[in-house]
Amino acid sequence: MIDLAALKKEAKQLLKDEKVTYLLGYRQGSNGHRAVPAFIREPEEVEQLTWDPTCTYNLTRYLIDEVRERNSSEEREDRPVGILVKGCDNRAINVLLQEKYLRKEDVHVIGISCEHAGMVDEKKLARELKNQPVMEIEFGEGDRFVVTTEEGKTTISAEKILADRCLECKASYPAGAEVIFGDKVKREFTRPYKGLQEIETLPAGERWAFWKAQFEKCIRCYACRSVCTMCYCDECVVDSIELAVTADTTAEEKARKVRWAERSPVTSENFTFHLTRAMHMAGRCVDCGECERACPVDIPLRLLYAKLARTADKMFDYEAGSDPDQPPLTSSFTMDDPGDFIR
Amino acid sequence: MEKILTKQALPRWIEQLDAYQIYAPVREQEGWKYAIVDTPDSVTLDYPNTVLSLKSILFPQREVFLEFHSQNGRDLEVEELLPGDAQSVIFGVRPCDAKAISLMDKVFGGDYIDNYYWKRRNQTRLIGLACNEPVSPDCFCNAVDGAPYSTEGLDILMTDLGDRYFLESVTEKGEELLAVEDDLFQEAGKKDQKAVKDLRSGAEKKFERKIPELQNMPEILANLFDSDFWEQESMSCIRCGICTYLCPSCHCFDINDEVETAAPLKGVRVRTWDTCQFPDFTMHSSGHNPRSDRAARLRQRVSHKYRYFPEQYDAFLCTGCGRCIDKCPVGIDIVEVLNKAVDYEG
Amino acid sequence: MADPFEPTIMAFLCKWCSSAGSDLAGVSRIKYPHNVVPITVMCSGSVSPMYILDAFKKGADGVLVSGCHPGDCHYIKGNYYARRRMALMKELLEYVGLEPERFRMSWVSAAEGVKYARLIEAFVEELKPLGPQTKLKRMVS
Repeated sequence: MIDLAALKKEAKQLLKDEKVTYLLGYRQGSNGHRAVPAFIREPEEVEQLTWDPTCTYNLTRYLIDEVRERNSSEEREDRPVGILVKGCDNRAINVLLQEKYLRKEDVHVIGISCEHAGMVDEKKLARELKNQPVMEIEFGEGDRFVVTTEEGKTTISAEKILADRCLECKASYPAGAEVIFGDKVKREFTRPYKGLQEIETLPAGERWAFWKAQFEKCIRCYACRSVCTMCYCDECVVDSIELAVTADTTAEEKARKVRWAERSPVTSENFTFHLTRAMHMAGRCVDCGECERACPVDIPLRLLYAKLARTADKMFDYEAGSDPDQPPLTSSFTMDDPGDFIR
Repeated sequence: MEKILTKQALPRWIEQLDAYQIYAPVREQEGWKYAIVDTPDSVTLDYPNTVLSLKSILFPQREVFLEFHSQNGRDLEVEELLPGDAQSVIFGVRPCDAKAISLMDKVFGGDYIDNYYWKRRNQTRLIGLACNEPVSPDCFCNAVDGAPYSTEGLDILMTDLGDRYFLESVTEKGEELLAVEDDLFQEAGKKDQKAVKDLRSGAEKKFERKIPELQNMPEILANLFDSDFWEQESMSCIRCGICTYLCPSCHCFDINDEVETAAPLKGVRVRTWDTCQFPDFTMHSSGHNPRSDRAARLRQRVSHKYRYFPEQYDAFLCTGCGRCIDKCPVGIDIVEVLNKAVDYEG
Repeated sequence: MADPFEPTIMAFLCKWCSSAGSDLAGVSRIKYPHNVVPITVMCSGSVSPMYILDAFKKGADGVLVSGCHPGDCHYIKGNYYARRRMALMKELLEYVGLEPERFRMSWVSAAEGVKYARLIEAFVEELKPLGPQTKLKRMVS
């Protein structure tokens, strides 16, 4: 069991000693039982810190904002940002380090182990409780959750209400983090790539029908992109204009700018967006599952990126975020990479 | 006109409306959406609220304005494409969504009449379903001049009385829909009216979220315009479009020419939803972006709803449906923001 | 009777090998189907997955990416990067249900005019039974 008091103590000390500029963590949300991201600046605010099965957010997303700010600021900030990371989040940090987007000295990592459980899927929980409002969710003994509703407390096994990403999790704790709260547990019930296998075994025609139906739902709110740590590009292929337009950009240059995807949420344009994003996720997606959680229309995005993750593993023996010193997947190669598809 | 319709008779009523295209909430995976229903039996009004609001039907995310083509690259042929002529009836509209449409009517029907919007709007009849209790903990319609049984924007309001519906026509269009086969409806009696009254006063009490000093909000927000408040509240914003795209009253759009083939030239001019939450929304062609950070964008969203719109149209551009709270990936809560705005000293 | 279906192939050929190979096929007067639209790129390693998606979007029935043989890249290692990237791209396209025949990668050297011609011939034959590619094609009107 995570000792929240010890976690708070550590956080408080870091802020008191001014070892970090601020701390990225979780606090109780305003309405209902959900936790929300917290930006903690003062030692006295540490009391807000919380850790429960609704701390789904991959806080490394906010390191992008921080890096941008640091890059654009004239004053050099020497102290790192403190951040709470789960196993999956930590892999995201590794990718950022691999790609040299983030410098090691700019971040102070505090690892948290999900131990026997993980993060709750709100939709599964609602189904399990037949839409009864939830007042609180806590970690129980082992792989069980304790859920409080108006009718009192009930215990639910993790397998029933865990998010799919946690059911397919490969490492429940941030391996390699300097500090880890909680036990390093090897879980028994996780089945990596279970969802992917179900889609992969469908005939091609059905796979097309499946993805077409999924992508046609897309409203292009770009929550998947916005919530993703890996989507740190200053200019995205689907934004018609962004930073490339400066005061010096001529009208001709603007007119010549390629529009890879139109704004219309139609099949071809939605495919362009999602397949492009998928390619950009190759060797980078750490399966934190935030895209899928954020998606308001329930597109199973993890199943898309899982395909490339597994391909990278099978063909190139590569796992995203497993080693901060490894060169990134698509900017490296070996002489004997498979080439039997080349004719 | 007030009528009673038994729940078993609902499909029969829908059958009578065969001159119309019928829309109703339909389940899709975990959520609900408005869709055309072919069989009257499949209309179930036992749903919380749709993920995409009613605006997705009346102000669709993509609207084709015109088609253009040219055979020789010089002579351009242009054909205007207005929405089709089908008359439709939409069942199961929540009062918050209907009220939002009445707000949109102000925007698209002011000094400039938007033909695309109005053609659809005039061809559509809205049948509402009162909320006997909040459909989600994030509901707050009665905190923003609304009510769970408001008839604003609707043609008919239905209230669920257990085994039957209490139907109340609000407009002439609504009365026409009730003017069908005699034995389908019963007259509403005193008892029914009392039942409805009790349900309504009961429902009001079940909404817990409040916005203090609502009527002073334009002034409060005006005073906060240059405050740090917005940076503090928007810290976790990731600039996605969920809050605005799911909002029943947000109506910003973009117009683009989309080319299908360059030679021979063929394409369409389309209107698509756009949102103040995207960084490129206010990007000028000069490269200057007047609303370049998340704080300015949150300020815009909140101020448009609680300051600019009331100043212009004398109504808040928010109907309390709670979608932006429920679906925000990082838990930003507009009610909390407004509450904090009232107390903010800085 | 309707005309038999003639597929359109968009071919991204590297300037140094494959494009020169296609030239050789031309100047050697080797007969091969006219279905291909060649686009010269500086290196197979410069072919972004977006080019491929865009080609399909503009109605290509098949897309070819061709570069120098391993070890022959003018930029030393561009084709090695391409090999990795295109392997991923191919897996992804097949996974979402596009017919595997529609995307091909090959190595064609500047001396392989015959290989290029035969390659196009075979590609066209494989695409014909599939009919037009409509899955990823842009249809906005």
